[in-house]
Amino acid sequence: MASSNCWRCLSRPANASLLPLSRPSFSTTAFVAAAPKASTKAPARAKGEKTLRIKKKAFVKTGKPPAPGERKAMRKRIVLSNTNALEVAGMKDLDAEMVDSMVRGEDAVLDGALQSKGETHEDVVGKVVGLKGETVDSLRAVEAFKTTQGWGLFRRPGLLIREESVELCRRMTDAAANKKALRLVIDGEKGSGKSLMLLQAMATAFVKEWVVLNIPEAQELTNAVNDYTPVDGTKPTLWSQNTYTANWLGQIGKANNAVLQNTTMRKEYKLPIPVQSNISLARLCELGARDPDVAWPIFQAFWSEITNPGRRPVLICLDSLSNIMQTSSYRAPDYSLIHSHDLAIVRHFVNLLSRPTSGLPNGGAIIAATSRSHAPISKSMELAIKQSEEKAAQLRGWPGKVTQRDPFEKSYDERADKALQNVEVMRLKGLSKVEARGLMEYWAQSGVLRSRVDEETVAQKWALAGNGIVGEIQRGALWMRI
Amino acid sequence: MKKIAWLPAGLRGNLQWTQCPRAIISNTFPRGPGFQAPKNQFSTSNHLQASIAAPEVRFKNQGSEGDELEGGAVFNARLVPNSASYFTAQPIFTDDLLKLQNILKRYANLPVLKPGDAPRVAWRSLADYRNLVGETVKAAKYSKIVEVLHRLNHIHPSLMPQEVQEALNEYKRDVNPYQNQAKLGHVNTLGKALGVGRRKSSSARAWVVDGTGEVLVNGKTLTEAFGRIHDRESAIWALKCTNRVDKYNVWALVSGGGTTGQAEALTLAVGKALLAHEPALKPALRRAGCMTRDPKRVERKKPGHVKARKMPAWVKR
Repeated sequence: MASSNCWRCLSRPANASLLPLSRPSFSTTAFVAAAPKASTKAPARAKGEKTLRIKKKAFVKTGKPPAPGERKAMRKRIVLSNTNALEVAGMKDLDAEMVDSMVRGEDAVLDGALQSKGETHEDVVGKVVGLKGETVDSLRAVEAFKTTQGWGLFRRPGLLIREESVELCRRMTDAAANKKALRLVIDGEKGSGKSLMLLQAMATAFVKEWVVLNIPEAQELTNAVNDYTPVDGTKPTLWSQNTYTANWLGQIGKANNAVLQNTTMRKEYKLPIPVQSNISLARLCELGARDPDVAWPIFQAFWSEITNPGRRPVLICLDSLSNIMQTSSYRAPDYSLIHSHDLAIVRHFVNLLSRPTSGLPNGGAIIAATSRSHAPISKSMELAIKQSEEKAAQLRGWPGKVTQRDPFEKSYDERADKALQNVEVMRLKGLSKVEARGLMEYWAQSGVLRSRVDEETVAQKWALAGNGIVGEIQRGALWMRI
Repeated sequence: MKKIAWLPAGLRGNLQWTQCPRAIISNTFPRGPGFQAPKNQFSTSNHLQASIAAPEVRFKNQGSEGDELEGGAVFNARLVPNSASYFTAQPIFTDDLLKLQNILKRYANLPVLKPGDAPRVAWRSLADYRNLVGETVKAAKYSKIVEVLHRLNHIHPSLMPQEVQEALNEYKRDVNPYQNQAKLGHVNTLGKALGVGRRKSSSARAWVVDGTGEVLVNGKTLTEAFGRIHDRESAIWALKCTNRVDKYNVWALVSGGGTTGQAEALTLAVGKALLAHEPALKPALRRAGCMTRDPKRVERKKPGHVKARKMPAWVKR
């Protein structure tokens, strides 16, 4: 056998195990047999150990794991149509004319002279109206739809018109007509339709061609998930969230494109980037959305443009108010927590909400909704809401005192107290039986609710849902399959 | 009185008489003149035999002082028991049956009520009767007595003889369950009816008024009070199962226990209050389970156990 190693040199062989001389020549057993066998048994238990240890089977991976971000995308996905659901015949779409007629009907009732010209609000209340394609696109752009709202059950998005929505509609229209700002906090039990009322306000604003700004979830502003930076030359320091603002500007531009692309800039602004004069506001939003670094100054320019006299009314909405009524999770360089009202966007919103003189010369509405399911408890907000309701009750001539603040309570927030000093509160209660019936009939016509809709079933669902809490009616009728 | 019905027959007879002399029994269960308790309570002789069998024989060497007077008389008469039933296996039972049959024979011609029209009476149970007489009475035998009692009970009440009435009374249970009248709830002048219900350690009071189906539990709506839909359904189940959800309003106070217990206590409370408004709903409510209190409670923990029943794990040494 020829070796790969040189016989004559003394260098060590390359492969030692192959060296024939390395094993004893006198052994008759096979070389492999001499090697110690790896024992297949589990190692013996230590002495005195009483517990039985059984090895768990290793987790078998099947299929491909979702790519990064895929799970979140699934979670946040908003489905607005279901091709298996039936088309509801005779469903009207929400348009400007319908809004006007609703308001007219309300006025007629208030005057005590109900003319049956066309459609009065009596006809609309308790009906489900559809949303036009453009409105749906705009609402989707401002993230007005939420994953928990069950839009994916129906052929296309529809809204139940209830007493409160007609009332809100009327007040918004009045505010626009009188060039005043409607400042409102929507409160109510969990599942009573607060976010849906915001959505309704936005839908109304879109069909009436207002400019709509929406903060879909206030906690995104305050829970320190976005980058933030101090704004130069502000004292006390104001903090802008540039990426969020850029994204927000993008949303605003996209949602209000119909209005903004026909509106041109009127004034010159000192902006960090050169901006053409005479560009449309939609273009301005695009510029801001493109570059986070200049987003905040551009937003300021945008705001002063849309609040110029002669522009369209503005609606600005915010959901889950209590998040911005306390300190945020952001930290200043000295590691102190930054108060939510020191964040630029929040400050902007809170100023509008709290300022008694109108910040909207063209009229409009500033509406905030509370959240009762996943939101911090803000004592100041609770107190302000309570006091506001009690004052309103007193104005209507009902007996009762205004609740005073608890002197032993530490967790009041001074700035929140000030901000919410004199806001109006709209409290959402359960649906009336008529409204509940209208909603359930819509479900039945969509083929989602299989049972018969009559007085009895409506009364049962209504009572089980805590006197008509709409979210609970939906839970009991649609999501529970008994 | 101890229950001794399970004992073997011979032992039972003896025990019965030792632990409970006839004098005491006769208070609750008066018997005929043939059944008088023996005068001498401290006698060692068998009382059973004393009452039914022949009078005691006095032998010469017994009771030496008092018996001096008739000392020399020779006793050679044949012993005859008081009752012919002495030679049957169950002498007291046989006597009882014969007595009742005799009564029936005597009053068989009296007018009777239609079957089923007689006042409902709960007769003593078999075990009860066995305990009283201390004999091994079979169910079939006792049913003969009950049969006669039943027939006697149908004699027209206006003509019921005193003797029959007394005989019947002997066999009636101490408490007649058929006389128990359930207390009816009432609706007050304001139209409110109060019902009370309990379950586990919760207790609920519910005031039910005519209305439109609004429910307040401890001042909260149903959704605020109960997170689970199942619990909400339990709370107003009495209304739901009778299709009256939209006819009444409920205002309730609940305390104690957990959510399930509170909800199920409300079921009973609302059911009873509803009954005050509409008594005819009782069968429907009973079928729906809104009438019967569930007596189950948490079982107590025992010493040596981890919980009520759970034992500590077995450990080697």
